Amino acid sequence: MAKSSRIISTCNIRTLRRLFALSALAFLPFADSGGATAAQGWRIDEAHTWIGFTIDAVGFPTTRGHFNHYSGNVLIDFDRPAKSFTSFTVDSTSVDLGAQAFNDFVKSSPLLNAEKYPTLSFVSTRVEKLDSRTARVIGNLTMLGVTRPIVLMVNVEPDPSAKGRAVAFVATGTITRSEFGMTFGLPLIDDALEVTVKTRALTDE
Amino acid sequence: MNEGGVWPGPVRLLHWASAVLVIAALGLGTYMVQLVKDPAERFELTQTHKSIGIAVLALTLVRLCLRILTNAPNPDPAAPFVLLAAKVTHVFLYGLLLVMPLSGWLMATTTPVRVPTFVFGLVELPYPSSPDLATYRIAHTIHVVSAIFLALLIVLHVAAAIIHAFVWRDRTLARMWSRRSAM
Repeated sequence: MAKSSRIISTCNIRTLRRLFALSALAFLPFADSGGATAAQGWRIDEAHTWIGFTIDAVGFPTTRGHFNHYSGNVLIDFDRPAKSFTSFTVDSTSVDLGAQAFNDFVKSSPLLNAEKYPTLSFVSTRVEKLDSRTARVIGNLTMLGVTRPIVLMVNVEPDPSAKGRAVAFVATGTITRSEFGMTFGLPLIDDALEVTVKTRALTDE
Repeated sequence: MNEGGVWPGPVRLLHWASAVLVIAALGLGTYMVQLVKDPAERFELTQTHKSIGIAVLALTLVRLCLRILTNAPNPDPAAPFVLLAAKVTHVFLYGLLLVMPLSGWLMATTTPVRVPTFVFGLVELPYPSSPDLATYRIAHTIHVVSAIFLALLIVLHVAAAIIHAFVWRDRTLARMWSRRSAM
């Protein structure tokens, strides 16, 4: 009586929203019986989704940014957490640090090199449940054409007021950017890139 | 022979243009480093700061040529100490107006955080050597210490001009300000 839910997150593109609505139906046959929620109706609350990062530098304010365009999916098996899975792809040209000139510089070749590498992607390889609210997700990040494992700590928080119809996730981790060949600015700019992915999944049931 | 006349028009114009740019660069440099918390704003202000600095460098080189090629109006009679102080201050001002933008250029060239510089969005500033942290740190120290000296000298320079004009009531300021000398 395993209960699994497929949560599909989409970016701010109308077509993808429509595709999602159709694909959610397509996954219904794969949901385990158990009758209850299953795969239908889980969707990402875009208003509560955030894919962001911060990085420190000597003699410079802490730099924060986020990505406006992304897509991904999350499959959670509440009964067998190790069978959960997540993957997401981020459009590196959609990076936003608060000003056009700054965005353009970060997209350029010493940093994101968005023209050559338009996406960043993460695919989970292992999920370990640590307690009822925390999981460790290990997966492969591909950035600047280099793929390396990273570890994300994920907080899972069902919304008490939503009666099981909303779950919030906060995933945090540190990327050692030099491992991916992003050595610009070292040692003045930190090697550690802190990432945070927040999202909220909703169901109508 | 420039007997008690004024500085030539171009010299006066370039002096005041330079004054505006130098004070803007000093103000912007202090503000962007000490008071700006937003990294995007800091990034943009730094780009503007570099443009102003290169403009000061260009103006200073032109002004130095003019200074060598034109005849300076004779200074009003004054104590030898005053004349010497004026000369020394002006030499140091010219010197700092070269050291400041050159050390800034060296900072932009040698910093590991190399960001392209487009002077007022028009011309890309070349970086004649490679990033080097040790050189960057030296250039940064020179830039900051020189900025403090420059600020102090500007205060002295302005105070002296005011004293010449309103206390001693001579024509020193008028020579840099007016088209005609007040004979």
